[in-house]
Amino acid sequence: MSDSDSDDWSEEWIPYSQRAEWADVVPLAQDDGERPIVAIAYSPKFREVFDYFRAIIAHKEKSPRALELTADALQLNPANYTVWQYRRDILRALGSDLYEELDYLEEVIRDNAKNYQVWHHRRVIVEMLNNPSKELELTEVALERDNKNYHAWQHRQWAIKAFDLYENELTFVDRLIAEDIRNNSAWNQRFFVLKHFGLTPEVVQREIQYTMNRIRVVKNNESAWNYLGGILRHGDHGTVNRNVEVISFCEELYASGVRSPYLLAFLIDLYKEQCLQQTNEADAEVLSKKVYNLCSDMSKNHDVVRRKYWQYVADQLKLKLSEK
Amino acid sequence: MSHDAVNIEGIKREPVLMHKHAKFCIRFLNLLPARLASHDSTRGAIAFFAVCGLDVLKSLSLLSNQMQKDVIEWIYGGLVTSLEDGQQSCCGFQGSRCVNIISNDEQLQANAKCYQWGHLAMTYTGIGLLATLGDDLSRLDRKSIVDGVAAVQRPDGSFSASIDGSENDMRFVFCAAAICHMLDYWGNVDKEKMYQFIISCIRYDNGFSQYLEGEAHGGTSFCALAALELSGQLHRLDEDTKENIKRWLIFRQVNGFQGRPNKMVDTCYSFWIGAALRILGAFELTDYEENRAYLMETQDNIVGGFSKWPQSTTDPFHTYLGLCGLSFMNEPGLAEVKPSLNMSMRAYNHLKHLHAQWQAESTDDKFATKETPASKLNSDDKSTSDTSPLIKAQ
Ligand SMILES: [Zn+2]
Repeated sequence: MSDSDSDDWSEEWIPYSQRAEWADVVPLAQDDGERPIVAIAYSPKFREVFDYFRAIIAHKEKSPRALELTADALQLNPANYTVWQYRRDILRALGSDLYEELDYLEEVIRDNAKNYQVWHHRRVIVEMLNNPSKELELTEVALERDNKNYHAWQHRQWAIKAFDLYENELTFVDRLIAEDIRNNSAWNQRFFVLKHFGLTPEVVQREIQYTMNRIRVVKNNESAWNYLGGILRHGDHGTVNRNVEVISFCEELYASGVRSPYLLAFLIDLYKEQCLQQTNEADAEVLSKKVYNLCSDMSKNHDVVRRKYWQYVADQLKLKLSEK
Repeated sequence: MSHDAVNIEGIKREPVLMHKHAKFCIRFLNLLPARLASHDSTRGAIAFFAVCGLDVLKSLSLLSNQMQKDVIEWIYGGLVTSLEDGQQSCCGFQGSRCVNIISNDEQLQANAKCYQWGHLAMTYTGIGLLATLGDDLSRLDRKSIVDGVAAVQRPDGSFSASIDGSENDMRFVFCAAAICHMLDYWGNVDKEKMYQFIISCIRYDNGFSQYLEGEAHGGTSFCALAALELSGQLHRLDEDTKENIKRWLIFRQVNGFQGRPNKMVDTCYSFWIGAALRILGAFELTDYEENRAYLMETQDNIVGGFSKWPQSTTDPFHTYLGLCGLSFMNEPGLAEVKPSLNMSMRAYNHLKHLHAQWQAESTDDKFATKETPASKLNSDDKSTSDTSPLIKAQ
């Protein structure tokens, strides 16, 4: 929970009750019931701003001063979805310059980058303008501050989808993965972009190379391994065992002594699939042994926190083979 | 009775400071400092975490009868019923009273009412809180509330929080399913579309994303699986898909749990991931000791409460979810939690009792015919008769 700032009367702050241009408005107190719970000891400023907000909403006033009042209210509580809604209704009623609204929002988003209401408001305004020209930059700035900000990625994906802004996105993703190879959001964005352009066999092959190269740099990176599995399963009907190059890549890593749990998990899946497809009993037996040994090695040495899970994986295979 | 001494192996275990946590929860039901004013819009949710926290701590009796009554009255005070013109259904509970005015002027009241909307998250927590306090929900018009839920379902099957001005995503899919399940009535909610939305959010790595093609996320994965369970559709996931989802969830454990690959561990994911795994029947495959040890690092030993990270600020949200996470591991002294509803099994049993009562009372009831609890239970049980093909991850 974060604290709201500027609760105190600051020097420049003139209470609404002392402003000549608000003299005609009678503030309306909140009806919080007779015995409120989770009551907040509102600051005098908070109480006054919202008393005036209630007054304008009760009079359906949609005016420039009402618009300014909503900005004060939102500064005190940017999570108040009703104030955002009323602000939009005022903007629509006044036919306000929505580019000014974008500028205003840029500031608000800078201070509240993880607030659902602010991003939603931004989206509605961009839709009203039918102009996404600032969205890639806006989200890029937000992602510079936090490269995994879910809201920023969501907004970016929305803008790209709604306005067909895919063109340079792969370059952006490349850069982010280069900056932080473990950025799972960037890997996800990579999948998002490439799926749009089409995961043709050529693209799949290129992505496999790309990912293997990055795994060579950092072997213990779940994001890259998940991406590799996702790409393979997408191309090969939900399996990972048909790409000879990937198989030898993994087996070579293993032979060279790499024991990343993600590598071992990948090999377990691979051998399990092969084992269940195998018609020759002796070959199936060899493959099942490989799975059991890897599961046991995971449980004891490389992935101890998941020891019960790997035991379960081995047990499941045994069960399946016995039912065959 | 003290649970704080030793575990079976004789290793010293950090004690869960039950009494301090209870006091921490109670404090949030009373007056909050001005610096928490940015939580004005979600006061209902804070009340939910505090009251349900006390419930899981088996300490509801610390709330006086008067206080329990006050909580119930305040929650009902936020109930929005249909507008007179019947134009749009915005029934449900409000999160705050910020546009509820004190005035005798009928016109002003009517104008203010145009902006008083139910909010799915607040309706879910509101009903959950009432059930937890043993209310019989007789003051709720179940049909109009579910009309309000159906009114915010989007063409893609997802839900928004309110009739206008809200994003739509998996969080509100969960809230919708929880509300309908708790009220034992689905009305015009389109479960099939809801199901299609949920499975379209299975990502290439087998976690669920908040919206189509987003990044897989632990909280979202809970919302998706809980919504499937609560709507009686969990059995529609084939075995391979379930195993893949389990893998993604199990891989979130570091010591405690993280919400996404390569992200930091956070107390609340001991609930989100823990509950998701409980729904899939795979929570026992996790490492309890590591999980518990992390949670205990985030306990405030002086004033109670849990924070998301060690040495961080505590809050009711992480306190409640931390306690639920501990309850999943059968922590002595804590009540059992129903994973998919995120409330105690005791409260859930109270709801089931109400459902049976509603059924008995209204054999000719206008909405009892659609779906009986019995038929819902049957569909839940048929998890093995599934023939649907492997669901393709996106
Ligand atoms: Zn958290």
